[in-house]
Amino acid sequence: MSISPISAISDAALQAEPATKARGYWTTVGRRIIRDKVSMTCACILIAIFLSALCASWLGLADPYQGSMIRRLRHIGTPNYPLGTDELGRDMLARLIYGGRLSLVVGILPVIFAFVIGTSLGLVAGYIGGKINTAIMRTVDVFYAFPSVLLAIAISGALGAGIVNSIVSLTIVFVPQITRVAESVTTGVRNMDFVEAARASGAGPFTIMRVHMLGNVLGPIFVYATGLISVSMILAAGLSFLGLGTKPPEPEWGLMLNTLRTAIYINPWVAALPGVMIFAVSICFNLLSDGMRSAMDIRN
Amino acid sequence: MFVYIARRIVYVIPIVISVALVCFLLVHITPGDPLVAILPADASQELAAQLRIAYGFDRPLPIQFGLWLWKAVNGDLGHSIATGRPVLSEVMRAVGNTVTLAIAAAMIGFTLGLLFGLIAGYFRDTWIDKVATSIAIAGVSVPHYWLGMVLVIIFSVQLNWLPAVGAGPGGSGAWGWDWEHIRYLILPAITTSVIPMGIVTRTVRALTGDILSQDFVEALRAKGLRETYVFRHVIKNAAPTAMAVMGLQLGYMLGGSILIETVFSWPGSGLLLNSAIFQRDLPLLQGTILVLALFFVFLNLMVDIAQAAIDPRIKRS
Amino acid sequence: MRNEKSGKSRATAAIVMLSIASVMGLPRIAGAETVLRIGMTAADIPRTLGQPDQGFEGNRFTGLTMYDALTMWDLSSADKPSVVIPGLATEWKVDDADKKKWTFKVRPGVTFHDGSPFNADAVVWNVEKVLKQDAPQFDPSQVGVTASRMPTLASARKIDDMTVELTTKEPDSFLPINLTNLFMASPAKWQKLFDAAEGADAKAKSQAAWAAFARNASGTGPWKMSSFTPRERLELAKNENYWDKARIPKVDKMLLLPMPEASARTAALLSGQVDWIEAPSPDAVAEIKQRGFLLKTNEEPHVWPWQFSRVEGSPWNDIRVRKAANLCVDREGLKDGLLAGLMVPATGTFEPGHPWRGTPTFEIKYDKPAAQKLMQEAGYGPSKKLSVKIQTSASGSGQMLPLPMNEYLQQALAECYFDVQLDVIEWNTLFTNWRRGAKDPSANGANATNVTYAAMDPFFALVRFLQSSMAPPVSNNWGYINNPRFDELVTKARQTFDPAARDAALAELHAASVDDAAFLYVAHDVAPRAMSPKIKGFVQPKSWFVDFSPISMTP
Repeated sequence: MSISPISAISDAALQAEPATKARGYWTTVGRRIIRDKVSMTCACILIAIFLSALCASWLGLADPYQGSMIRRLRHIGTPNYPLGTDELGRDMLARLIYGGRLSLVVGILPVIFAFVIGTSLGLVAGYIGGKINTAIMRTVDVFYAFPSVLLAIAISGALGAGIVNSIVSLTIVFVPQITRVAESVTTGVRNMDFVEAARASGAGPFTIMRVHMLGNVLGPIFVYATGLISVSMILAAGLSFLGLGTKPPEPEWGLMLNTLRTAIYINPWVAALPGVMIFAVSICFNLLSDGMRSAMDIRN
Repeated sequence: MFVYIARRIVYVIPIVISVALVCFLLVHITPGDPLVAILPADASQELAAQLRIAYGFDRPLPIQFGLWLWKAVNGDLGHSIATGRPVLSEVMRAVGNTVTLAIAAAMIGFTLGLLFGLIAGYFRDTWIDKVATSIAIAGVSVPHYWLGMVLVIIFSVQLNWLPAVGAGPGGSGAWGWDWEHIRYLILPAITTSVIPMGIVTRTVRALTGDILSQDFVEALRAKGLRETYVFRHVIKNAAPTAMAVMGLQLGYMLGGSILIETVFSWPGSGLLLNSAIFQRDLPLLQGTILVLALFFVFLNLMVDIAQAAIDPRIKRS
Repeated sequence: MRNEKSGKSRATAAIVMLSIASVMGLPRIAGAETVLRIGMTAADIPRTLGQPDQGFEGNRFTGLTMYDALTMWDLSSADKPSVVIPGLATEWKVDDADKKKWTFKVRPGVTFHDGSPFNADAVVWNVEKVLKQDAPQFDPSQVGVTASRMPTLASARKIDDMTVELTTKEPDSFLPINLTNLFMASPAKWQKLFDAAEGADAKAKSQAAWAAFARNASGTGPWKMSSFTPRERLELAKNENYWDKARIPKVDKMLLLPMPEASARTAALLSGQVDWIEAPSPDAVAEIKQRGFLLKTNEEPHVWPWQFSRVEGSPWNDIRVRKAANLCVDREGLKDGLLAGLMVPATGTFEPGHPWRGTPTFEIKYDKPAAQKLMQEAGYGPSKKLSVKIQTSASGSGQMLPLPMNEYLQQALAECYFDVQLDVIEWNTLFTNWRRGAKDPSANGANATNVTYAAMDPFFALVRFLQSSMAPPVSNNWGYINNPRFDELVTKARQTFDPAARDAALAELHAASVDDAAFLYVAHDVAPRAMSPKIKGFVQPKSWFVDFSPISMTP
């Protein structure tokens, strides 16, 4: 499920201008993104979903936990229940919006954690090199030897169902991927002229890492990580779909998809709704990540 | 070249041992009774203790790991607790079904991916490109288990054209490549193919675009060279990377089939993994994960070697 | 719409063909065999080596089909309760002097599917496969499911070729009922496989022999294994030489397919992949009926209860509260509103007509005023609610629709001044906690638990919950019920060896438990199964089990 070949990312990094010109470069990138209609549409959709999940309690929605036996599995478009009701008679609109909270948290947090851990490991490995590089990268290789879906499911299966366990298992899945990108970008940048120049002018390794490396390295890793969010959303919901993630009665898109499966004969399109949400978020993150990548690619 | 291959293979050995250790530890960190599959909750404690000894779960973990690894090296992954059947034969039969599914999905996904990728790369920034890239991005963004559900809703529930679940009227034991069986393969194969289709499209589009924008291609064209020649040039230069990506995708399809196989009750390694997880069948669980991970390691090795054979620069890195 | 039409036209076509065939008196096409295809709820084919796993569904499909036990259940009637009848034993009695010894007469003229004779040696061999640790055929994997269902059986001894003596650890009149769970596998077949097996030691060879036996099983039952693909399908063929000529199957073959997903099972039935599915989801019932399929149900020996904690400080220690809860639930409303009719309201563990029902004086029904009155007497009211906490799960075998049903109870009991909190945990954890008891920290302060149970035999239906010595960690008296009257009646039932008197003693015990409102009795499952109209002659007994022999199929 790795979506972008690593080489493309490190190429982009190597194209980047030295850190001295960084400010101008990032302004250009920013301007290019804002002019990109697709990216901006995606950003707006994502912001709308985020905000509605965040402010769900103030939107005057029905109680997402309150079921009723008499109004089970209403169709889309039923008065008072615009998106119908689920197998326990709970309002689908409310559950989809409230469900955004857990789904987004469980989808995005692992990427953030993995970004922090993986970038640190990759920077250290790439900059220091030698035995430390070998130690870090060989360990990473072991986890890289598992297909990501298999690894996520094996860890969650071992730890047992639960939100925290899902986040832990997905973080473990993404750390090696980000570490690899970070290491390869860092190694590439380390040998470039401007770093050599800084070193020659007497800057300590810490300063070099902070000032020069982070500026040129973080961008590409960040783009790679935003691409992972879409994978993470799909996987996190997938874990819940298998019964290895969120537990009922919490609203969460993957779990809703799971529990509504028995209803596909009565109310198929209501049963498919949570998947639409996962799809929408995932495709928006992917397009946004693409937009950022091409904005950062000076050659275009 | 030979030295490179030998070095790569030697390098894989510690990985394989570490992978085995990770499999074992993953499965054993879980609290809970490993005998839950055969021990009813109303069984007496005395009976539970007796069975724990009979199955060797009373021994220290390092010894259990050593014994398991030693047997695994000798081709014995133990017996499933729930069914009593040898784990290796269970896993291999299931992997066979997953391979069937992966091959069908690869045929669909890779063909479409190559086609869309080439077209999009050739007609970059035209509407054709936009359509092809949209399909590709949808392919990599869609939750495939949900797509499977939607396909079942449309083609099985509403239209009643294709069966919703299973691997043929006689099960996988009686599998044949005839319509009666392929009917069962269509929906899961399409579902599995969307991600590789998307990724191959994007890769091939990028490669084609890069190659076509190279100066000397422009020069060749300017000289009035026939497009078929340019096309051949594109294929030759895009092939190594595209093949590597497809190889890895095949690996992901083999190892990551659990969600789709669960949706379609396809009797492959993913479904086996699912039941091993929920029955807490430790020998089966660690055996399945190990075999799938080793498959993936092996496939990665093959891809590396193949790439090195085509492109000598890689050997240096 | 499209489905409906094609379903109808197919049905019409079938009727037309049928009438043509009957008018013309066509013989059945030679060689066309009838196959009954069944979608089970199990995720895997239950074990085929004699002692199935997967609970009673396992016994239903791979136990009672290929194997027989010394005693069997009468599955011939849909109306009468299912009782124990002679199986591979023709008669049995307890020793007058030593009530721990029983003699069983073995049925003559019975052979295993491999042709070897069934005799006293075979009985001893099968007892020892799970009870004698140094026997070559001892198989730990079969012990758990077997020994726990016959907790008192200790050993077996051959008296002569046709007589066996069984010994129990303590006098136990339930033994003949428990023995329905010990299936007779062929020792001769196993020995042959053992001799051919490879392995480092006898233990490894024995394990290999059992694995081979599971692939190539041999019992005495009405069905023989004809082909087996693990996890996917088990094909059984009729046993023409079955000892009970009346029960030789009418269809040629039976195909068993594991389909754990309710929606997948329903799809398979509607699309004609199978002829019969177990447990369609209540939501799909209307669709199934509308498309012309049949829905079969019958009350099952199963109870969906709240099991009360009776430890010190539990609000359920007040019998008025226990009775009020039982009177406050509109079970008919639950049945029609939520379960599409797929339940029977429970007024005890056994319903009227059952030999172990007895005559309780406390009548369990929906009577809200009486319930409110009892609660007020106990000191509660609209302004002073009684807070109770229930541990339950979101899913689980036999749990029906646990969350919606508990939410229904929550709403119903609120009318009688209960404030019900639900502690929803994972099914396996709930089940494990059930064994740990209400005092254990895992109970998480809950004062009732919601684990459903099978009520096939007296130990599982009554004794393990009501006898004080069955409190954790021994067995499932989760709430530490300690009622001397129950203890006395349990001992009396266990030591009454005349079957009719034993049943009367059990009825007395059951009536006492209902009068004490020992549980909140809510529902009995009805073992719903949906099948094609082609299936004829099917009888759904009041049991977890089914006799497949009388079933025939019209083409």
